[in-house]
Amino acid sequence: MAAELLIRNGVVYDPINGVKGEKKDIFIRDGKIVESVSNPKVIDAEGRVIMPGGVDIHAHVAGGKVNSGRLMRPEDGRKGIEPKTKVCRVQSGYSVPNTFATGYRYARMGYTFVMEAAMPPLAARHTHEEMIDIPILDNAAMPLIDNNWMTLEYIKSGNTDLLAAYIAWMIKATKGYGVKVVNPGGTEAWAWGKNCNLHDTVPYFDVTPAEIVKGLAEATEKFEMPHSIHVHTNMLGHPGNFEVTTDTYDLVKGIKPYRDRPAMHATHTQFHAYGGTTWKDFESQATHITDYVNANDHVSIDIGSIVLGDTTTMTADGPMEYDLYQITGRKWTNCDVELETGSGITPFLYSGKSPVNTIQWAIGQELALLIKDPWKVALTTDHPNAGPFIGYPIIISMLMSKKRRDELAEDVHKVIFDRTVLPSIDREYDLYEIAIITRGMTAKTLGLAEHGKGHLGVGADADLAIYDMTPEERDAGKIQKAFLNTKYTIKAGEIVVKDGEVVAAPPGKTIFVTPECEQSLMDEMLVTLKDKFDKYYSVTFNNYPVQDAYLPNPYEIKAPMRG
Amino acid sequence: MIGKEEKKMQTITLKLKDSVTSGSAQVPVEADVLTPDQLFGKSEAEIKAVKVWWGNKQENAGDLFDVSVSGDAGSADDVKIVFEGNLKRVKRIGAGMKAGEIEARGDVDMHVGAMMEGGRVVVKGNANCWAGGEMHGGELLIEGDAAANLCAMYRGEEKGMTGGKVTVNGSADELVGQYMAGGEILIKGNADRLAGLNMKGGKITIEGDADIPGADMTGGEITVKGTTEMMPSFKFVETAAVDGAEYKKYLGDFAMGERKAKGTLYVR
Amino acid sequence: MAEITDVVCSLCGCVCDDIVVEVEDNKVTKVKRGACSVGKSKLLGHERIKTPMLRENGELKEVSYDEAIKKAAEILYKSRRPLLYGWSSTVCEADRVGVELAEDLGGVVDNTASVCHGPSVLAIQDVGLPSCTLGEIKNRADLIIYWGANPAAAHANHMKRYSYVSKGFWTAEGKKNKKLVVVDVRQTMTSKMADVFLQIEQGKDYQIFSALRAILRGHGDVVPDNVGGIAKEQLLEVADMVKEAKFGITFFGMGVTHTGARHNNIVNAIQFTRAAHLFGKWSIMPMRGHYNVTGFNQVCCWQTGFPFSVDLTRGYPWYNPGETSSTDLLARGDCDSALIIASDPGAHFPGAALRHLAKIPVIQIDPFANPTTEFADVIIPSTISGIESPGGVYRMDNIPLRLRKILDTDYYIPDEEIVERIMEEVRALRAKEGE
Repeated sequence: MAAELLIRNGVVYDPINGVKGEKKDIFIRDGKIVESVSNPKVIDAEGRVIMPGGVDIHAHVAGGKVNSGRLMRPEDGRKGIEPKTKVCRVQSGYSVPNTFATGYRYARMGYTFVMEAAMPPLAARHTHEEMIDIPILDNAAMPLIDNNWMTLEYIKSGNTDLLAAYIAWMIKATKGYGVKVVNPGGTEAWAWGKNCNLHDTVPYFDVTPAEIVKGLAEATEKFEMPHSIHVHTNMLGHPGNFEVTTDTYDLVKGIKPYRDRPAMHATHTQFHAYGGTTWKDFESQATHITDYVNANDHVSIDIGSIVLGDTTTMTADGPMEYDLYQITGRKWTNCDVELETGSGITPFLYSGKSPVNTIQWAIGQELALLIKDPWKVALTTDHPNAGPFIGYPIIISMLMSKKRRDELAEDVHKVIFDRTVLPSIDREYDLYEIAIITRGMTAKTLGLAEHGKGHLGVGADADLAIYDMTPEERDAGKIQKAFLNTKYTIKAGEIVVKDGEVVAAPPGKTIFVTPECEQSLMDEMLVTLKDKFDKYYSVTFNNYPVQDAYLPNPYEIKAPMRG
Repeated sequence: MIGKEEKKMQTITLKLKDSVTSGSAQVPVEADVLTPDQLFGKSEAEIKAVKVWWGNKQENAGDLFDVSVSGDAGSADDVKIVFEGNLKRVKRIGAGMKAGEIEARGDVDMHVGAMMEGGRVVVKGNANCWAGGEMHGGELLIEGDAAANLCAMYRGEEKGMTGGKVTVNGSADELVGQYMAGGEILIKGNADRLAGLNMKGGKITIEGDADIPGADMTGGEITVKGTTEMMPSFKFVETAAVDGAEYKKYLGDFAMGERKAKGTLYVR
Repeated sequence: MAEITDVVCSLCGCVCDDIVVEVEDNKVTKVKRGACSVGKSKLLGHERIKTPMLRENGELKEVSYDEAIKKAAEILYKSRRPLLYGWSSTVCEADRVGVELAEDLGGVVDNTASVCHGPSVLAIQDVGLPSCTLGEIKNRADLIIYWGANPAAAHANHMKRYSYVSKGFWTAEGKKNKKLVVVDVRQTMTSKMADVFLQIEQGKDYQIFSALRAILRGHGDVVPDNVGGIAKEQLLEVADMVKEAKFGITFFGMGVTHTGARHNNIVNAIQFTRAAHLFGKWSIMPMRGHYNVTGFNQVCCWQTGFPFSVDLTRGYPWYNPGETSSTDLLARGDCDSALIIASDPGAHFPGAALRHLAKIPVIQIDPFANPTTEFADVIIPSTISGIESPGGVYRMDNIPLRLRKILDTDYYIPDEEIVERIMEEVRALRAKEGE
């Protein structure tokens, strides 16, 4: 590996630094972007498109439910089999790839960072063990803190300071990145086989999901947290849920975030933009969401766009997964986690022949195309729920090409013309906007830009992708191909992918946040927490926190309490 | 005969060398590359050079088999491969085959005819597990017995055999046709436990006895001519005549609930 | 003398983690609380393999670690189809290197699940697994079923930590508001505690699950008067208990996994759980035996895509228990060498498999001698995980815990380091051969 690298003749898209397709040299030394080099290895990009390494804001790639998905689906493992090579370990899987395939395939798409979307705290060690075995990518994981008994009790008593102490303890103990919220209240209700809508009371705990979301947002913003609460709103997947979605967004309207970012990141919004009342009159209500996001600045979204075909759904929204299994009758795994959260996993097929799936497929694209400011939007498929991450290039090509969207509209169910507005949208994303929704916005919203991610300014991590296309390329097929396998991917200044093949697989680092809380507050919270461990948990307090051995390459971000 | 063209036929004989199975271990050979459609058009020398997996190394077919070729083929349909020797350690004979014929002279190892699409395989002996696994088309005849999972799906799949015709002259071990969705299976002997488990389509006929056939079936048809150990969750419908003999017709499996219990079971 | 708390047990799938011991002069002198008698015995220590050994002309010769590791590497490197088996009584760190070694060699990697709860995994691959963590059961369960399992004997702390006797949030009165149902072919220590004991005919579990499902789905009319030795009235009674429960759990053991319909028994048990879920909250959980059998399945699955019995000889993973599982491989003479680590096939494998194992070169890595040691050709003693070396493990409900190191050793080497060094030697041999 050359310590110095010079990339010339590339056309650079670096939205965080306002670089909009400029022919620019890039200088790299010791894994960072620098101002100049003296004796570099030279890569001639020959007019190709260059972007910072992709930053995926939400994917399920490491941990208990991901591995349950793999274990449960050897028939998925059978797809995507690749033999080992001199550089690469064996690969398997399509919607639930093994950890090695995960790292290699993301890197081949030019991505260099992934956020594990939902880590059950009691099983945090598992998430970290798998992240160690994901090559190349830097990573982080968000612990679930919204159905936890401690959270529910502090919301009930209205004690935001103690809730803040609990959040701090949890993020530290799990070596996590921020506060993840999934079907708040509803997953605790599911432990008794029930569910909750936004204003229902959670059985026994007597709080509503609305109160939970608001309380967690307030408590989170007591710290200099890089990222806001990250929310999977209630009633996911139910026709007519669109109002619950924006009602949830309203809850944090008055909360002042610690920095220039929204007070809530709402995830896989496609699943939450459903109109109609049943599957029969089901329709897109993407416009309801996009009107809201266009008129407000306190919320950001990622689209959770469908990739047609077979996939594996997996979320901490246990009741939703049960409902899905009831519809399909297919195999179904559930795992409720004591005092904390739950999960459900079931395979699902999104078919262009199905009217419902067609509308779902259109919604993700509508969200991206109708929100005016791309800095509010991230590209995701909620991997693997709406589809595997390997489908990102398909979505990119659809957002960039009206022609392709029109061609594909002919292949799906004709209901797309009545129940969605997608066919009437002419807008096409340009490369700058694609760079925003795949690295600029995501790094900024996660608070990772100042830690070297998502841009190519001096001091940034030398993570970048050289795509095998020029900016003038308009052919959707060629665009899709280019975004699937890079000409080069560079990670921390090392060439890891060349001509679409993985040539090096160094380990990545795990980024975690350490919120710093006043000790007296922490001590008071710990009395209650330790009591829970004594009486109700099945593990001891001292055995709970994630040990250092699970983070061989740690990167810490401190989050002191706000003044 | 006047007007009848002489049919082209090529016979490729592959006799497994004794050295393959004479060691302290009998590492199996994987024969999936040796099908009529893949060998069609190859000379004898080229056939000998085909790479075949034997454990963790690939060897030349000519180092594992004595190879001889006679006749010519106009297409893969005209190719017949005869396997000889100790075939108990030769797996995947005819797996994925699209055309032509294979005759295996002796007992064969697992996956014979698995995922076949066309052509015909005859096993002059017993077949090990997963014979005809996930078969799509073509014909498979096993003159001896079949071990477990005949024509069944592979791990985790929701669909097994979808087409083709399989006959077993002897008996079959458990799980015949699990997750069957189409095609036909005939067992002339007995079928051990759980024949037709999870069946959704297709037809299984068992001329001997069967032990709890049709469990969790939601479609398809099973006929048992010998004695049947019944599942406790099937509903008697009526007596029915099939090919001149009287049968009791059952509907099931009600353990799946009424809406899904659309499988038919005929027993004596 | 030092007192050490929160010690994590490295014996069975319960992985009790609240054990308190006293340590003096680098020995565990007392187990104060938390461990059952079997766990206690392991902590207090017993006879172990003293040094690495090589068997030459039938005699065992003491050698250095280096020599034993080199010999092991030679044997494995030359093999056309090596088997790397065991893994369930060591830590995930060792499992990870083990899978890598199997991939590097082009061999088969498998763990004790293939003779234990492998059938449960096969069932999950058919219908999934509605389940929960053990604390959920402690806090909520009011109907507990042990089917083909005898925790009073095999998982001694299970009922008092996690299920029938335990006290939790909505179960503060312990047994008082709970019901215990035991299903087995004979009376056991556990069945004697039950509110309802179903003594079923051997091999008839499958039919009984189907009958219960039909009853729960409203089709009791098709069920005959007697199923598997149980009268229909009793089945109806159990079905009523199921319908009334707020939170039910079925724990199942070897009694169902290895008899009759075997893995299809478990499929049916899970289908029964899905039917029960129409009435209340229901879960099901396998009673995993060894303390890290689950951990190996997790590691193997995230690394290869498949949980055990993974054949890597063709350079990519092929998973097919029944074909690629160790007892089947050995009984058919498939493998030409074997690495046995953290397990005891000598005691547990059927005769046909053992006869072949005795014919091929066998490497054993274990702190303790066992029947496998009697015929191993290379014997490499390792540290005792959870006592002399730390590491990650997964409990029977998939919760990850970390074993502690509570004693020192200046001689023995941890499993992961031994396997790592064997892999380095294999790579050195390959490099020398210029491949």
